[in-house]
Amino acid sequence: MDAIDKKLLNLLQKEFPLEEEPFRLIGERCGISEDEVLARVRRMKEKGVIRRIGAVFDGKKLGRASTLCAARVPEDKLQSFVHIVSAEKGVTHNYRRRHEYNVWFTVTAANTEELQALLSDVKKKTGVTDMLDMRAVRTFKIDASFDL
Amino acid sequence: MNIFSAGQIKAAKILQSDIPLSSRPFTDIAGACQMTGDELIVWIRNLSRQGIIRKVTAILRHQRAGYGKNVLVLWSVPPEEIDDAGRKLAGLPYISHCYERQPSFDGRFNLFTMLHAKSGDISPLLQEMSRLISCPDFLLLESLEEYKKTSPEYF
Repeated sequence: MDAIDKKLLNLLQKEFPLEEEPFRLIGERCGISEDEVLARVRRMKEKGVIRRIGAVFDGKKLGRASTLCAARVPEDKLQSFVHIVSAEKGVTHNYRRRHEYNVWFTVTAANTEELQALLSDVKKKTGVTDMLDMRAVRTFKIDASFDL
Repeated sequence: MNIFSAGQIKAAKILQSDIPLSSRPFTDIAGACQMTGDELIVWIRNLSRQGIIRKVTAILRHQRAGYGKNVLVLWSVPPEEIDDAGRKLAGLPYISHCYERQPSFDGRFNLFTMLHAKSGDISPLLQEMSRLISCPDFLLLESLEEYKKTSPEYF
């Protein structure tokens, strides 16, 4: 990644122009052509630096329910547990963490009832019953952008 | 999702995943969704104004972008102080997410923050946070393995 790539990433993380030719506008701000912007963005996607370019919807405003779960999973059940959890479409993050509660995952569903059903289903399928469900009652910040 | 038309749902499906890398990406999306490019842009702007769309941007894989340290840090804050503490921690540039959650973890950790750093020692950052909210009681939850990391599919 050179200086232009970093500038591009900083700009693209701040705001993707809602204009007919967004990449041309970005190029003007970086002093490069539209073609070069597209080539650089393509390269950074191939390298996995850029996951996607798109909209971030507010799940809560759409009426969705979500939560963070922490589960205490015995070592011999770990592989099957994380496999079953990750296979759920509503699960967006799934991590092993250094704690007695060793698997932490976030999950979203159409509403609270469906979320509850999904978690019960995971417990039943995996046999793991020690699973905490910690709802966000207040959001102070959501801004996963990184200064480069 | 009855507030959206069929074409809008189609557009939302594309927007929640990936915009095409073309000269006129909105025109291209709109063409598949019974809209014009201008109509699509106006619609996105309206949703942004209403907060239904939080932002339209590039989403990075932070590890690949050079941010190797990503730690969940939980704080035990008295309920009457959580508003102030939440706002203060949210103001720090290296904090991406800050939530109050219930029930609290381990009977006392109620404020959840996600911290990101390029590398090296994060203890100065933790000290800064701890001082800022006058809270000595925190729990670090280092990630040992990432099994899944995706954007939610709402549509």
